[in-house]
Amino acid sequence: MTPLILIAREKWRLMRRNRVAVIALALVLLLSTIAAVTSVAQQAETAALRAHFQQEADAAFAAQPSRHPHRMVHFGQFAFKPVEPLAAFDPGVDPFTGTAIFLEGHRQNSANFGDVRQSSLLVRFGQLTPAFVLQILAPLILIFLGFGAVARERDGGTLVQLRAHGMTIAALLTGKAIALGAIGGLILVPAGAALAWMVVVHGASLPAATLLLASYTLYLAIWVGGVILASAIMRQARSALILLVGAWLTTAILVPRMAPDIAGAVQSLPTRLESEVAVTRDYRAIGDSHDPNDPHFAAFRTAVLKKYNVARVEDLPVNYAGLLAVEGERLSAELFARYADQLFAQEARQSDIMNRFALVSPTAAIRQASMALADTDRAAHRRFLGQAEAFRYDLVQRLNMLEATDVTAENDAKGDDPATETLSRVSQDHWRSMPTFHPRPSGIETRAKGAGPALGYLVGWLLAIGACLLFAGRRMGNGR
Amino acid sequence: MKSASVPIDQATPAVHLRDVRVRRGERIILDSLTFSVGRGEIYALLGGNGAGKSTAIATILGFLPYAGGAVRVCGDDPARDGYRVRGHIAYLPENVALYEHLTAVENIAYFLAVAGQRRSPDAVMAALNSSGLQAEAHERRLVGFSKGMRQKVAIALAILREVPVFLLDEPTSGLDPSASSDFNALLLRLRNAGAAIVMVTHDLLGVVDCADRIGFLESGRIADEAVASGPDRFDLRELHARYGKRVLAA
Repeated sequence: MTPLILIAREKWRLMRRNRVAVIALALVLLLSTIAAVTSVAQQAETAALRAHFQQEADAAFAAQPSRHPHRMVHFGQFAFKPVEPLAAFDPGVDPFTGTAIFLEGHRQNSANFGDVRQSSLLVRFGQLTPAFVLQILAPLILIFLGFGAVARERDGGTLVQLRAHGMTIAALLTGKAIALGAIGGLILVPAGAALAWMVVVHGASLPAATLLLASYTLYLAIWVGGVILASAIMRQARSALILLVGAWLTTAILVPRMAPDIAGAVQSLPTRLESEVAVTRDYRAIGDSHDPNDPHFAAFRTAVLKKYNVARVEDLPVNYAGLLAVEGERLSAELFARYADQLFAQEARQSDIMNRFALVSPTAAIRQASMALADTDRAAHRRFLGQAEAFRYDLVQRLNMLEATDVTAENDAKGDDPATETLSRVSQDHWRSMPTFHPRPSGIETRAKGAGPALGYLVGWLLAIGACLLFAGRRMGNGR
Repeated sequence: MKSASVPIDQATPAVHLRDVRVRRGERIILDSLTFSVGRGEIYALLGGNGAGKSTAIATILGFLPYAGGAVRVCGDDPARDGYRVRGHIAYLPENVALYEHLTAVENIAYFLAVAGQRRSPDAVMAALNSSGLQAEAHERRLVGFSKGMRQKVAIALAILREVPVFLLDEPTSGLDPSASSDFNALLLRLRNAGAAIVMVTHDLLGVVDCADRIGFLESGRIADEAVASGPDRFDLRELHARYGKRVLAA
């Protein structure tokens, strides 16, 4: 048996014979299993619910009676954010961002009905998900099981005995790391099983799930290395415990909680009211399509007349009001896109600031990597909003074009009179032929790219801890 | 990690220190320390607190580098090849450090495995019996073991190592007179079997019964040496008069 395995086996035997260690490990495994099972079940339920709501919304839209297309523009459509299967592992920002958007003409609404707003305040303090267990609780159990790994050998005098029997410091540290690493691996088992379930049963991305598991393995390896390092450099086991609990409180609790506040203070975002006031002001400044002297719409009318080679709007083969609606929507959508881009740029700067906290906290790094790989980070939400906006624009423009092509100008003018309003209607068959909303989840390249910087930080952390362990080992080897 | 089956040149002294100097910062701990221990010999290194006993042990084990002179254990230099040297030595510290969650037998099996050795259960039982540990304690975890009982487990382990050199740090400290006497008898058996035994102690009366030579360590050097047999055999009264009070006072 190699010295490494010998040391590791002895550490496992010590843990097996220590009731507190066994109970603590069993509790974490139980929590991890409960988190995996409940999260998967909840995810399946939520996904089914949202799919059901989306079907209902699609059906309600398709079931509308024959009517004027512009009324359908304002009837609108709901877009429900589908649940990415890996959200069961790490829901990310989903509970906070809202999951349903009302899509209508001339407006770009934000998502509503985030789970946190619908649930008790307790949800804000962290749901029991596999990600939460691995990010927060797993390091704590590694600390409690490993803080004395080397320090107790030194305290009890067995370190000298081991060395006198030919054990090298490198073998001792590596053996202890293997023993604690195996505990980390054990803690990963329920999460790994949950990921496998998500891939096989719910069709989650296999590469993303594999990368997710690899990322958490890297994260726990950092903690294993950190625990062994603290145990090796501190003179007493008690000091190692205090140091490690302090490090856990700072890096796993404080920094990830403070990072968004600091990022928000450095790069503030406009409030919803401020954004709406600014958008409304600029929207009004676009122009008035009913004003014959409005320079933009006057130029638009000239261009349309030229295109159809006619002198008067009345001579157009299409309904000019429909074309105006198309142009108006194009302009307003450009305005919304400009504001959205500004907001996204500000959010990106906030995210950049937050990402830098990964330099002082591996937990901050794994959170970013985990959300990116699960497709539940802020960038993923932005991609969903982008797809929803593209769908909204396409739907509204199809309806506007329907007004231009299927409602004559003459009948369109009769739409305000209840007696003749039916003439301005188009067949309800058109609603059924409209596309439905099917947002695509992000591909593995997008997710990996999003997780890349955070994974880089994690690799950096592991290398730094490894270098410190090497240094500490040499120092121990030189001393008594 | 190396087992004890390292080929040993029988002609060279088992332990040899010549003009060894060890410094800690500006302080000189060992100053031209010189002594040799041959196979089949018990050498007692006697000294008070601060005389350099612990440093001498750490240097022989290769835990501390030395600044000058030479140290050889079975011909190997601990400063260059500490792990090989430790394969020649069974070290018994003053405060025996063993694992409380393991039984006596498990402790022995574990440390033997660390040293790359394995012994049959019968051999382990025999060693524990010869160290004087009651049979009912062999399979008990060490929680609740007295210092003497732990010492006996460590002695059994040292015997089972089957190494040429035994390095003992205050080996009888904490043992009752009867256990001390048994221990001395055991040392004599090991010596007669050809082991080189270095015993570091401040207990003059405890070593006179078994040591072949006594080196008196003062300020990091051997101030005097006494032999146990032949025309120069030491006189206990005279030794005590010369060193006993000083050592005991320290």
